[in-house]
Amino acid sequence: MASIRLERLTKKFGKVIAVNGLSLEVQDGEFISLLGPSGCGKTTTLLMIAGIYRPTEGNVYFDDVLVNDVAPKDRYVGLVFQSYALYPHMKVYENIAFPLRLAKVPKKEIDRRVREVASLTKIEELLDRMPGQLSGGQQQRVALCRALVKEPEILLLDEPLSNLDARLRIETRAEIKRLQRELGITSILVTHDQVEAMTMAERIAVMHSGVLQQYDPPGVLYDRPKNLFVASFIGDPPMNLISMKVMEREGQLILSADGFHLPVPEGLRERLSTLVGEEVVLGLRPEDMTLAREERPGSIPGEVFLTEPLGGGTLVHFIFGDVKLRVLAPREQPVDVGDRLWIVLQEEKVHVFGPDGRSLRDSDAAA
Amino acid sequence: MTKEKRRYAAPTTLAKVRGKMARSVPYILLIISSLPILSMYLWLFMSSLSSKVMFGFIPAGITVRNWRFLWEPIQMGGAAHLSVWKATWNTLIFALMVMLLVVLVATLAGFALSRMQFRGRESLMRLIIILHAFPGITLLIAIFYVLYFLTRVTHLKFLDSLWGVALVKASLEIPWSAWIIKGFFDNIPWEVEWSAYIDGCNRFQAWYKVILPQLKPGIAAISIFSFLAGWGEFIYLYTFIFSQENQTLSLLIKALIGEFRFTDYGLLAAVSLFYIFPVLVFFIFTQKGLMQVSAGGIKGGR
Amino acid sequence: MESKRTWRMKKRKVRIRIPSHVPFLLPFFILVTLFFFIPVILNILLAFTDMDFAMRWDFVGFKNYFRFVSDPIIPKVLVNTVIYVAATLAINVGLGLALALLNTYYVPENVGLIFRAIWLLPRMTPPVVYALLWLWVLDPTEYGLLNMIVGKNVNWTMQHPLGIVILVNGLIGASFGMIIFSASIKSIPRDYIMAAQVDGASNWEIVRRIIIPLLRWPLMFVTTWQTLSLLASYEYILLVTDGGPFYKSEVWSLYAYHTAFSHQMYGYGAAIAMVLVVVAVIVTLIMLKIFGFKRLMELAGG
Repeated sequence: MASIRLERLTKKFGKVIAVNGLSLEVQDGEFISLLGPSGCGKTTTLLMIAGIYRPTEGNVYFDDVLVNDVAPKDRYVGLVFQSYALYPHMKVYENIAFPLRLAKVPKKEIDRRVREVASLTKIEELLDRMPGQLSGGQQQRVALCRALVKEPEILLLDEPLSNLDARLRIETRAEIKRLQRELGITSILVTHDQVEAMTMAERIAVMHSGVLQQYDPPGVLYDRPKNLFVASFIGDPPMNLISMKVMEREGQLILSADGFHLPVPEGLRERLSTLVGEEVVLGLRPEDMTLAREERPGSIPGEVFLTEPLGGGTLVHFIFGDVKLRVLAPREQPVDVGDRLWIVLQEEKVHVFGPDGRSLRDSDAAA
Repeated sequence: MTKEKRRYAAPTTLAKVRGKMARSVPYILLIISSLPILSMYLWLFMSSLSSKVMFGFIPAGITVRNWRFLWEPIQMGGAAHLSVWKATWNTLIFALMVMLLVVLVATLAGFALSRMQFRGRESLMRLIIILHAFPGITLLIAIFYVLYFLTRVTHLKFLDSLWGVALVKASLEIPWSAWIIKGFFDNIPWEVEWSAYIDGCNRFQAWYKVILPQLKPGIAAISIFSFLAGWGEFIYLYTFIFSQENQTLSLLIKALIGEFRFTDYGLLAAVSLFYIFPVLVFFIFTQKGLMQVSAGGIKGGR
Repeated sequence: MESKRTWRMKKRKVRIRIPSHVPFLLPFFILVTLFFFIPVILNILLAFTDMDFAMRWDFVGFKNYFRFVSDPIIPKVLVNTVIYVAATLAINVGLGLALALLNTYYVPENVGLIFRAIWLLPRMTPPVVYALLWLWVLDPTEYGLLNMIVGKNVNWTMQHPLGIVILVNGLIGASFGMIIFSASIKSIPRDYIMAAQVDGASNWEIVRRIIIPLLRWPLMFVTTWQTLSLLASYEYILLVTDGGPFYKSEVWSLYAYHTAFSHQMYGYGAAIAMVLVVVAVIVTLIMLKIFGFKRLMELAGG
């Protein structure tokens, strides 16, 4: 299994910059995800790794070997397309066997390997059918087989779950994860669905408009988003993002918005003292706050405006002037509209993003 | 499924050079195969301007003498030939007649085929396709008789007349033109037509005032095609036109070829270039249009 | 007031009852009847006559068909036709496919456009001029292009008439296939190509195993359509060799033409054409059977 390194990878189509200076590395056997909204360049990056697109600038390394000029057939990658791209005029068996036939593998060997990989994904009975006769989920498994049959060093998956219905999606998610772990192939999953990325990948590279935003394990992305984009993209229900002004009041540093004030947490005081008078964005995850019936230190009073029962919890809406705040209350806690409650925050879970969008908690963020 | 780990190696310079050579093969093939055609047309252009041509293309001397047909009657091989301008006029008349006939009849018919439900519609459409595949020669002999017969019966000149042949040529172009126009009609929503009826039009008015204007691109297409088909027409004119005064440019050139294939290529080339001028203009226009359409760079290959 | 309105409505109702598609289709029908249906019937009838320049209906029963069987030229013509159709078909389909692949797959779009345009030029040129260009290429003196390449003075139209004729028509016919195949190739989803590249296929393997198998229908369509076209073609042959020398390049349609218009034997010519019609009808029926008519409508853009 190969390690991958991308160095300042850039791809331009005419004037359009699809991927801009992307640098990251994937370790041997690791399962990572490229996550981002459509058009952010993740599929283009995948195709550059596969060798179908040539980078405009930058380098791709497999096991520290520069592979920019290596043709797709010599890269030993398996690619599962979003559309599956099964050859419509060939039977399933032939589709899977195709890479082996091209490599001139002997017939007996082809048969053994096709059947082996088919049993891995449990599609042995489908081998004689034509792709047109299969359901979406079945086609996807065939595409997976075709990618795996040549025992690639790298497995690339382009939105493999987006065409499946919700229940099948969850099943397949687990299956792919299990397969990857069993086979130990270095894998890259491209998706726009953050739940998919969070549940399947060991590390996630969040991309936006061709630029890498953050590359960290899911937990880190969740707890310490480096910028506004990552913070707003990760997490469901999404993080509350509120524009606030840094002000000094009675010698104290506070964040202020119309009708909503918050004293600056200890850990951020130093950073924010240089930004007095500036606009910053406050980030609070609904699930990082709790609701109390009595005042607690540092808590904020509010009146419940709206409740949304989600089944596993309740999303409670508060309004302060222009500011809307959503808090996730646990299932057992009864909340009604009109209740006067105290919103309790945890200091370490308060995020503040500076005027440039970057998190002020980030130790790399320059003042 | 364990096996030895594969090694990666960047391609060697030799491999890269080989790759480059392999990639240039299609270009070489295309260029070589296109050379005959290119050289033919290049010769045409060059010959028309040279007194004598060496090695196919290089003019030994630039001259305008070949274009003298523009102001002199062509004198060769004893027989007097029709003035080029008269021939051009005939060609123009012929092409225009074909065009007008085709546009008129095809748009009317296309409208009916698209909009109106009537018994036999399906079979009519089937017929159109079959007709198009019919060998022309089998009709030619009989059409000759038809024209002869019509001439005898109506005392109007159908044979040896430009408009008689125009009728024939148009009739051959109309079926597929009607088919194309029908396709355009199919794309106009019913509601537009209904509004016209509600506003007080009868079917003809609706067709003429409301629908036809929306068909501009389709009509433009078939007018141009039928005009050019008429402009370039040879065989029907050759078969049905006898008197010299009715000759079109195509017939004139044929006559000239017979006369002096081996002597005055320059003149022949000039007349031919003169003749195909509208075709070339159209050709350049459409290619430009096509180029622009695809020039907007798309996510393409490596 | 009331009665007036209802009366007017009644009047309008009655007018709509008359099938309104009639006037729209009338001109179409007149022309198609005059120049398609009637000629077909006439041809059948004419074949039973001995009509000549006197234009008299001398019915002679099957005499023409006997004449046909004993005509010494017919076997020559038959062989020529078979060779001509087979060889030109091979060029039309093979070269057309090759050109389409080169232009749409192997080279980028804008380059492909240029070459496609070049190959369309002969098709769009008026036949006389195209023939003239070939006459220069085949010129038996040292000025002919072929002779310049070959180095000696060969009289091509005398020595290799059938081959010449095949080339002349092939160059034009290839562009038909090129257009159709280009469109089909472009409609193949890029994903298949990319998947094949990742699977390890070279360009040639992709063409052979993915693209061509997906071109099955266009290939069959072009083959049969072109076969019919070639059976019926004679215009270019007439212009370049006129079937000569001594019928060496005479094909079926041309023989019918010569018989009718050069020898003024309309009856016999019609009979020769009839046999061709029968062959063409058989081929058409086979085509319809293989494709199923619906598919044909789709392909024709209905």
